Amino acid sequence: MLLAAIVAVMVTMLLALVRAFLGPTAYDRMLAASSFGTKTVLLIALGGHAMSWHSYLDVALLYAMVNFVATVAVMRFFEYRAAREATEGGESAS
Amino acid sequence: MTLLGFLVLIAVAAIRLRDLFAVVMLFGVYSLLTAALFMNLDAVDVAFTEAAVGAGVSTVLMLSGLHLTSRWEQRPKRSPLLPLLVVGVTGAVLVHAMLDAPFVGDPQAPVQTHVTPYYIANAPVEVGMPNMVTAVLASYRGYDTFGETVVIFTAGLAVMLLLGIQQGTHNRPGLNAIGDQLVLRSVVKLLVPAILLYALYVQFHGDFGAGGGFQAGVIFATGFVLYDLAFGEGDARTVVPPGWLHRLAALGVLIYGGVGVYALLAGKPFLDYSALSADPVAGQHLGVLLVELGVGITVFAVILTIFYAFSGRGRRA
Repeated sequence: MLLAAIVAVMVTMLLALVRAFLGPTAYDRMLAASSFGTKTVLLIALGGHAMSWHSYLDVALLYAMVNFVATVAVMRFFEYRAAREATEGGESAS
Repeated sequence: MTLLGFLVLIAVAAIRLRDLFAVVMLFGVYSLLTAALFMNLDAVDVAFTEAAVGAGVSTVLMLSGLHLTSRWEQRPKRSPLLPLLVVGVTGAVLVHAMLDAPFVGDPQAPVQTHVTPYYIANAPVEVGMPNMVTAVLASYRGYDTFGETVVIFTAGLAVMLLLGIQQGTHNRPGLNAIGDQLVLRSVVKLLVPAILLYALYVQFHGDFGAGGGFQAGVIFATGFVLYDLAFGEGDARTVVPPGWLHRLAALGVLIYGGVGVYALLAGKPFLDYSALSADPVAGQHLGVLLVELGVGITVFAVILTIFYAFSGRGRRA
Protein backbone atom coordinates (compact mmCIF):
# COMPACT_ATOMS: atom_id res chain seq x y z
CA MET A 1 0.00 0.00 0.00
CA LEU A 2 2.71 2.41 1.07
CA LEU A 3 4.86 1.26 -1.83
CA ALA A 4 2.03 1.89 -4.30
CA ALA A 5 1.58 5.41 -2.94
CA ILE A 6 5.32 6.08 -3.22
CA VAL A 7 5.39 4.85 -6.82
CA ALA A 8 2.36 6.98 -7.67
CA VAL A 9 3.96 10.09 -6.20
CA MET A 10 7.16 9.36 -8.12
CA VAL A 11 5.23 9.06 -11.38
CA THR A 12 3.64 12.47 -10.82
CA MET A 13 7.08 13.88 -10.01
CA LEU A 14 8.34 12.52 -13.31
CA LEU A 15 5.43 14.14 -15.15
CA ALA A 16 6.15 17.45 -13.44
CA LEU A 17 9.79 17.17 -14.48
CA VAL A 18 8.81 16.51 -18.10
CA ARG A 19 6.67 19.65 -18.05
CA ALA A 20 9.50 21.63 -16.47
CA PHE A 21 11.88 20.64 -19.28
CA LEU A 22 9.40 20.95 -22.15
CA GLY A 23 7.32 23.86 -20.87
CA PRO A 24 7.02 26.45 -23.61
CA THR A 25 6.76 29.43 -21.25
CA ALA A 26 8.53 30.35 -18.02
CA TYR A 27 5.23 30.07 -16.17
CA ASP A 28 4.86 26.40 -17.14
CA ARG A 29 8.33 25.70 -15.84
CA MET A 30 7.70 27.60 -12.63
CA LEU A 31 4.44 25.80 -12.00
CA ALA A 32 6.08 22.44 -12.75
CA ALA A 33 8.97 23.17 -10.39
CA SER A 34 6.55 24.24 -7.68
CA SER A 35 4.41 21.11 -7.98
CA PHE A 36 7.58 19.01 -8.09
CA GLY A 37 8.40 20.51 -4.71
CA THR A 38 4.94 19.72 -3.37
CA LYS A 39 5.32 16.12 -4.49
CA THR A 40 8.70 15.98 -2.76
CA VAL A 41 6.97 16.91 0.49
CA LEU A 42 4.62 13.95 0.01
CA LEU A 43 7.52 11.70 -0.88
CA ILE A 44 9.40 12.68 2.29
CA ALA A 45 6.32 12.03 4.39
CA LEU A 46 5.65 8.63 2.78
CA GLY A 47 9.26 7.53 2.58
CA GLY A 48 10.02 8.75 6.09
CA HIS A 49 7.12 6.71 7.41
CA ALA A 50 8.19 3.67 5.41
CA MET A 51 11.83 3.88 6.51
CA SER A 52 10.79 4.97 10.03
CA TRP A 53 13.03 8.02 10.23
CA HIS A 54 12.43 10.07 13.31
CA SER A 55 11.01 13.58 12.92
CA TYR A 56 10.45 13.15 9.18
CA LEU A 57 7.26 15.21 9.41
CA ASP A 58 9.28 18.19 10.65
CA VAL A 59 11.49 17.90 7.60
CA ALA A 60 8.47 17.60 5.28
CA LEU A 61 6.90 20.73 6.81
CA LEU A 62 10.16 22.62 6.48
CA TYR A 63 10.45 21.58 2.85
CA ALA A 64 6.89 22.72 2.14
CA MET A 65 7.70 26.13 3.59
CA VAL A 66 10.98 26.45 1.69
CA ASN A 67 9.26 25.49 -1.55
CA PHE A 68 6.50 28.07 -1.19
CA VAL A 69 8.79 30.91 -0.14
CA ALA A 70 11.25 30.16 -2.94
CA THR A 71 8.45 30.14 -5.54
CA VAL A 72 7.14 33.52 -4.38
CA ALA A 73 10.69 34.91 -4.25
CA VAL A 74 11.49 33.79 -7.81
CA MET A 75 8.26 35.27 -9.14
CA ARG A 76 8.99 38.54 -7.33
CA PHE A 77 12.49 38.58 -8.77
CA PHE A 78 11.20 38.32 -12.33
CA GLU A 79 8.45 40.84 -11.66
CA TYR A 80 10.85 43.53 -10.42
CA ARG A 81 13.32 42.75 -13.18
CA ALA A 82 10.65 43.11 -15.86
CA ALA A 83 9.50 46.38 -14.34
CA ARG A 84 13.05 47.72 -14.15
CA GLU A 85 13.93 46.68 -17.67
CA ALA A 86 10.73 48.31 -18.91
CA THR A 87 11.61 51.64 -17.25
CA GLU A 88 15.24 51.47 -18.41
CA GLY A 89 14.14 50.70 -21.96
CA GLY A 90 11.72 53.61 -21.87
CA GLU A 91 14.44 56.00 -20.70
CA SER A 92 16.93 55.01 -23.40
CA ALA A 93 14.24 55.33 -26.08
CA SER A 94 13.18 58.84 -25.00
CA MET B 1 28.17 7.96 -3.69
CA THR B 2 25.54 8.86 -6.30
CA LEU B 3 24.58 11.92 -4.29
CA LEU B 4 28.21 13.00 -4.07
CA GLY B 5 28.51 12.57 -7.85
CA PHE B 6 25.48 14.83 -8.32
CA LEU B 7 27.08 17.39 -6.01
CA VAL B 8 30.25 17.46 -8.12
CA LEU B 9 28.20 17.80 -11.33
CA ILE B 10 26.21 20.71 -9.90
CA ALA B 11 29.38 22.42 -8.67
CA VAL B 12 30.98 22.18 -12.12
CA ALA B 13 27.80 23.47 -13.77
CA ALA B 14 27.62 26.39 -11.32
CA ILE B 15 31.19 27.37 -12.22
CA ARG B 16 30.66 27.07 -15.99
CA LEU B 17 27.32 28.87 -16.25
CA ARG B 18 27.24 32.62 -16.89
CA ASP B 19 23.55 32.99 -16.07
CA LEU B 20 23.67 33.95 -12.40
CA PHE B 21 19.99 33.24 -11.87
CA ALA B 22 20.53 29.62 -12.91
CA VAL B 23 23.57 29.49 -10.62
CA VAL B 24 21.44 30.63 -7.66
CA MET B 25 18.90 27.91 -8.43
CA LEU B 26 21.73 25.36 -8.71
CA PHE B 27 22.98 26.41 -5.28
CA GLY B 28 19.49 25.71 -3.94
CA VAL B 29 19.56 22.22 -5.43
CA TYR B 30 23.10 21.73 -4.09
CA SER B 31 21.89 22.56 -0.58
CA LEU B 32 18.94 20.22 -0.83
CA LEU B 33 21.19 17.40 -2.00
CA THR B 34 23.55 18.09 0.89
CA ALA B 35 20.57 17.97 3.24
CA ALA B 36 19.57 14.61 1.76
CA LEU B 37 23.16 13.42 2.27
CA PHE B 38 23.04 14.42 5.95
CA MET B 39 19.65 12.75 6.27
CA ASN B 40 21.22 9.61 4.84
CA LEU B 41 23.89 9.79 7.55
CA ASP B 42 21.07 10.03 10.12
CA ALA B 43 22.09 13.57 11.10
CA VAL B 44 18.60 15.04 11.17
CA ASP B 45 19.57 18.24 12.99
CA VAL B 46 22.25 19.11 10.45
CA ALA B 47 19.97 18.24 7.53
CA PHE B 48 17.34 20.50 9.04
CA THR B 49 19.75 23.41 9.29
CA GLU B 50 21.06 22.86 5.78
CA ALA B 51 17.56 22.80 4.28
CA ALA B 52 16.39 25.87 6.21
CA VAL B 53 19.51 27.98 5.75
CA GLY B 54 21.04 26.73 2.51
CA ALA B 55 17.99 26.01 0.40
CA GLY B 56 15.51 28.40 1.96
CA VAL B 57 16.87 31.69 3.16
CA SER B 58 20.12 31.74 1.15
CA THR B 59 18.22 31.41 -2.13
CA VAL B 60 15.97 34.31 -1.23
CA LEU B 61 18.90 36.44 -0.03
CA MET B 62 20.93 35.68 -3.15
CA LEU B 63 17.97 36.53 -5.39
CA SER B 64 17.50 39.85 -3.60
CA GLY B 65 21.22 40.48 -3.98
CA LEU B 66 21.15 39.45 -7.63
CA HIS B 67 18.46 41.92 -8.49
CA LEU B 68 20.83 44.73 -7.46
CA THR B 69 23.32 43.65 -10.11
CA SER B 70 23.28 42.16 -13.58
CA ARG B 71 21.91 38.74 -14.35
CA TRP B 72 24.79 37.77 -16.63
CA GLU B 73 28.28 37.25 -15.37
CA GLN B 74 30.98 39.00 -17.41
CA ARG B 75 33.81 37.08 -18.96
CA PRO B 76 36.99 37.40 -16.90
CA LYS B 77 39.58 39.61 -18.58
CA ARG B 78 42.66 37.90 -17.17
CA SER B 79 43.77 34.34 -17.66
CA PRO B 80 42.56 32.01 -14.90
CA LEU B 81 45.81 30.01 -14.80
CA LEU B 82 47.32 31.45 -11.61
CA PRO B 83 44.12 31.07 -9.52
CA LEU B 84 43.75 27.56 -10.93
CA LEU B 85 47.30 26.75 -9.79
CA VAL B 86 46.62 28.11 -6.28
CA VAL B 87 43.36 26.19 -5.98
CA GLY B 88 44.98 23.04 -7.35
CA VAL B 89 47.86 23.18 -4.86
CA THR B 90 45.47 23.85 -1.96
CA GLY B 91 43.27 20.98 -3.07
CA ALA B 92 46.26 18.65 -3.37
CA VAL B 93 47.36 19.58 0.18
CA LEU B 94 43.86 18.91 1.47
CA VAL B 95 43.68 15.55 -0.30
CA HIS B 96 47.10 14.66 1.13
CA ALA B 97 45.85 15.56 4.60
CA MET B 98 42.69 13.49 3.99
CA LEU B 99 44.83 10.39 3.42
CA ASP B 100 45.73 10.36 7.12
CA ALA B 101 42.11 10.70 8.22
CA PRO B 102 40.27 7.55 9.26
CA PHE B 103 37.50 6.18 7.08
CA VAL B 104 33.89 7.17 7.69
CA GLY B 105 32.38 4.84 10.28
CA ASP B 106 35.73 3.34 11.29
CA PRO B 107 35.18 2.11 14.88
CA GLN B 108 38.82 2.81 15.73
CA ALA B 109 38.63 6.47 14.65
CA PRO B 110 39.50 8.94 17.44
CA VAL B 111 36.02 10.42 17.13
CA GLN B 112 34.47 7.11 18.14
CA THR B 113 36.88 6.35 20.98
CA HIS B 114 37.62 9.74 22.54
CA VAL B 115 34.65 11.92 23.56
CA THR B 116 31.66 10.30 21.89
CA PRO B 117 31.38 7.38 24.37
CA TYR B 118 31.52 9.91 27.20
CA TYR B 119 28.65 11.93 25.67
CA ILE B 120 26.57 8.84 24.99
CA ALA B 121 27.12 7.49 28.50
CA ASN B 122 26.74 10.71 30.45
CA ALA B 123 24.51 13.07 28.46
CA PRO B 124 21.20 11.41 29.47
CA VAL B 125 22.24 11.59 33.15
CA GLU B 126 24.00 14.95 33.27
CA VAL B 127 21.84 16.97 30.88
CA GLY B 128 18.79 14.74 30.74
CA MET B 129 17.66 15.46 27.18
CA PRO B 130 16.36 12.98 24.64
CA ASN B 131 18.09 14.81 21.78
CA MET B 132 21.78 14.29 22.33
CA VAL B 133 22.72 16.72 19.58
CA THR B 134 21.17 19.59 21.51
CA ALA B 135 22.84 18.41 24.72
CA VAL B 136 26.27 18.41 23.06
CA LEU B 137 25.69 21.63 21.12
CA ALA B 138 24.24 23.78 23.86
CA SER B 139 25.74 22.30 27.00
CA TYR B 140 29.03 20.44 26.47
CA ARG B 141 30.01 22.61 23.55
CA GLY B 142 28.43 25.79 24.89
CA TYR B 143 31.63 27.77 24.25
CA ASP B 144 31.65 26.87 20.54
CA THR B 145 27.99 27.73 20.12
CA PHE B 146 28.53 31.04 21.90
CA GLY B 147 31.33 31.74 19.44
CA GLU B 148 29.05 30.90 16.50
CA THR B 149 26.36 33.23 17.82
CA VAL B 150 28.90 36.03 18.11
CA VAL B 151 30.07 35.32 14.54
CA ILE B 152 26.49 35.62 13.26
CA PHE B 153 26.06 38.83 15.23
CA THR B 154 29.28 40.19 13.73
CA ALA B 155 28.10 39.29 10.23
CA GLY B 156 24.87 41.20 10.80
CA LEU B 157 26.87 44.12 12.13
CA ALA B 158 29.11 44.11 9.06
CA VAL B 159 26.12 44.12 6.69
CA MET B 160 24.58 46.95 8.66
CA LEU B 161 27.80 48.99 8.54
CA LEU B 162 28.52 48.35 4.86
CA LEU B 163 25.03 48.59 3.36
CA GLY B 164 22.78 49.94 6.07
CA ILE B 165 19.02 49.71 5.95
CA GLN B 166 17.69 52.49 3.80
CA GLN B 167 14.80 54.35 5.24
CA GLY B 168 12.12 56.15 3.30
CA THR B 169 9.11 55.30 1.22
CA HIS B 170 9.09 51.71 0.08
CA ASN B 171 5.66 51.36 -1.36
CA ARG B 172 6.97 50.76 -4.88
CA PRO B 173 4.11 52.25 -6.87
CA GLY B 174 3.33 50.45 -10.09
CA LEU B 175 5.27 47.35 -9.14
CA ASN B 176 2.52 45.45 -7.47
CA ALA B 177 1.38 42.96 -10.10
CA ILE B 178 1.90 40.01 -7.75
CA GLY B 179 1.05 41.93 -4.61
CA ASP B 180 -2.42 42.60 -5.91
CA GLN B 181 -3.18 38.93 -6.43
CA LEU B 182 -5.97 38.10 -4.03
CA VAL B 183 -5.05 34.40 -3.86
CA LEU B 184 -1.43 35.05 -2.93
CA ARG B 185 -2.39 37.65 -0.32
CA SER B 186 -4.93 35.37 1.30
CA VAL B 187 -2.64 32.33 1.27
CA VAL B 188 0.25 34.33 2.74
CA LYS B 189 -2.04 35.76 5.42
CA LEU B 190 -3.03 32.24 6.37
CA LEU B 191 0.50 30.83 6.15
CA VAL B 192 2.54 33.42 8.03
CA PRO B 193 1.04 32.63 11.48
CA ALA B 194 1.50 28.91 10.78
CA ILE B 195 5.15 29.46 9.84
CA LEU B 196 5.78 31.52 12.97
CA LEU B 197 4.11 28.85 15.11
CA TYR B 198 6.22 26.20 13.40
CA ALA B 199 9.35 28.24 14.17
CA LEU B 200 8.40 28.40 17.85
CA TYR B 201 7.80 24.64 17.80
CA VAL B 202 11.25 24.06 16.30
CA GLN B 203 12.73 26.42 18.89
CA PHE B 204 11.27 24.76 21.97
CA HIS B 205 11.17 21.21 20.65
CA GLY B 206 14.93 21.21 20.13
CA ASP B 207 15.42 19.38 23.43
CA PHE B 208 13.42 16.42 22.18
CA GLY B 209 13.76 16.22 18.40
CA ALA B 210 15.47 17.90 15.50
CA GLY B 211 15.60 21.64 15.88
CA GLY B 212 16.98 24.42 17.99
CA GLY B 213 17.78 28.09 17.97
CA PHE B 214 19.58 28.27 14.62
CA GLN B 215 16.82 26.62 12.61
CA ALA B 216 14.03 28.38 14.49
CA GLY B 217 15.58 31.80 13.97
CA VAL B 218 15.87 31.19 10.25
CA ILE B 219 12.28 29.93 9.95
CA PHE B 220 10.97 32.86 11.98
CA ALA B 221 12.81 35.28 9.72
CA THR B 222 11.49 33.43 6.65
CA GLY B 223 7.96 34.11 7.84
CA PHE B 224 8.62 37.85 7.76
CA VAL B 225 10.51 37.61 4.47
CA LEU B 226 7.43 35.96 2.97
CA TYR B 227 5.25 38.75 4.35
CA ASP B 228 7.58 41.30 2.82
CA LEU B 229 7.53 39.52 -0.55
CA ALA B 230 3.74 39.45 -0.70
CA PHE B 231 2.78 42.78 0.81
CA GLY B 232 5.75 45.02 0.07
CA GLU B 233 8.34 46.52 2.32
CA GLY B 234 6.26 49.29 3.81
CA ASP B 235 3.97 46.79 5.51
CA ALA B 236 6.72 44.44 6.64
CA ARG B 237 8.65 47.31 8.16
CA THR B 238 5.61 48.42 10.12
CA VAL B 239 5.43 44.95 11.67
CA VAL B 240 9.15 44.67 12.44
CA PRO B 241 10.80 48.10 12.31
CA PRO B 242 14.44 47.95 11.18
CA GLY B 243 15.42 49.91 14.26
CA TRP B 244 14.50 46.96 16.46
CA LEU B 245 16.62 44.48 14.63
CA HIS B 246 20.07 45.48 15.79
CA ARG B 247 18.77 45.72 19.35
CA LEU B 248 17.30 42.21 19.02
CA ALA B 249 20.56 40.86 17.55
CA ALA B 250 22.48 42.25 20.49
CA LEU B 251 19.84 41.02 22.92
CA GLY B 252 20.31 37.41 21.80
CA VAL B 253 24.06 37.52 22.37
CA LEU B 254 23.47 39.25 25.72
CA ILE B 255 21.07 36.50 26.85
CA TYR B 256 23.64 33.85 25.94
CA GLY B 257 26.54 35.70 27.53
CA GLY B 258 24.37 36.67 30.51
CA VAL B 259 23.70 33.01 31.32
CA GLY B 260 27.46 32.40 31.25
CA VAL B 261 28.23 35.40 33.45
CA TYR B 262 25.48 34.41 35.88
CA ALA B 263 27.09 30.99 36.25
CA LEU B 264 30.42 32.74 36.82
CA LEU B 265 28.92 34.95 39.55
CA ALA B 266 27.34 31.91 41.19
CA GLY B 267 30.79 30.44 41.64
CA LYS B 268 30.76 27.93 38.78
CA PRO B 269 32.70 27.90 35.49
CA PHE B 270 31.52 30.10 32.61
CA LEU B 271 28.39 28.63 30.94
CA ASP B 272 27.98 25.90 33.58
CA TYR B 273 24.19 25.76 33.63
CA SER B 274 23.95 23.69 36.80
CA ALA B 275 24.40 26.99 38.64
CA LEU B 276 20.95 28.14 37.47
CA SER B 277 18.99 25.86 39.76
CA ALA B 278 19.43 23.82 42.91
CA ASP B 279 18.94 20.62 40.89
CA PRO B 280 21.78 20.33 38.33
CA VAL B 281 19.63 18.63 35.68
CA ALA B 282 16.86 21.24 36.00
CA GLY B 283 19.56 23.90 35.77
CA GLN B 284 20.87 22.33 32.58
CA HIS B 285 17.35 22.34 31.10
CA LEU B 286 16.81 25.99 31.96
CA GLY B 287 20.26 26.92 30.69
CA VAL B 288 19.84 25.17 27.34
CA LEU B 289 16.40 26.75 26.92
CA LEU B 290 17.75 30.27 27.56
CA VAL B 291 20.82 29.77 25.43
CA GLU B 292 18.79 28.43 22.50
CA LEU B 293 16.43 31.40 22.87
CA GLY B 294 19.40 33.75 22.63
CA VAL B 295 20.68 31.97 19.52
CA GLY B 296 17.21 32.07 17.94
CA ILE B 297 16.74 35.80 18.56
CA THR B 298 20.15 36.68 17.15
CA VAL B 299 19.78 34.51 14.04
CA PHE B 300 16.29 35.89 13.36
CA ALA B 301 17.40 39.50 13.70
CA VAL B 302 20.52 39.07 11.57
CA ILE B 303 18.76 37.24 8.72
CA LEU B 304 16.02 39.85 8.57
CA THR B 305 18.62 42.64 8.72
CA ILE B 306 20.45 41.20 5.72
CA PHE B 307 17.19 40.84 3.81
CA TYR B 308 16.10 44.41 4.58
CA ALA B 309 19.52 45.74 3.64
CA PHE B 310 19.49 43.98 0.25
CA SER B 311 15.87 44.43 -0.72
CA GLY B 312 15.67 48.11 0.23
CA ARG B 313 18.57 49.18 -1.98
CA GLY B 314 18.94 50.51 -5.47
CA ARG B 315 15.30 50.61 -6.30
CA ARG B 316 13.70 53.50 -8.09
CA ALA B 317 10.88 54.97 -6.06
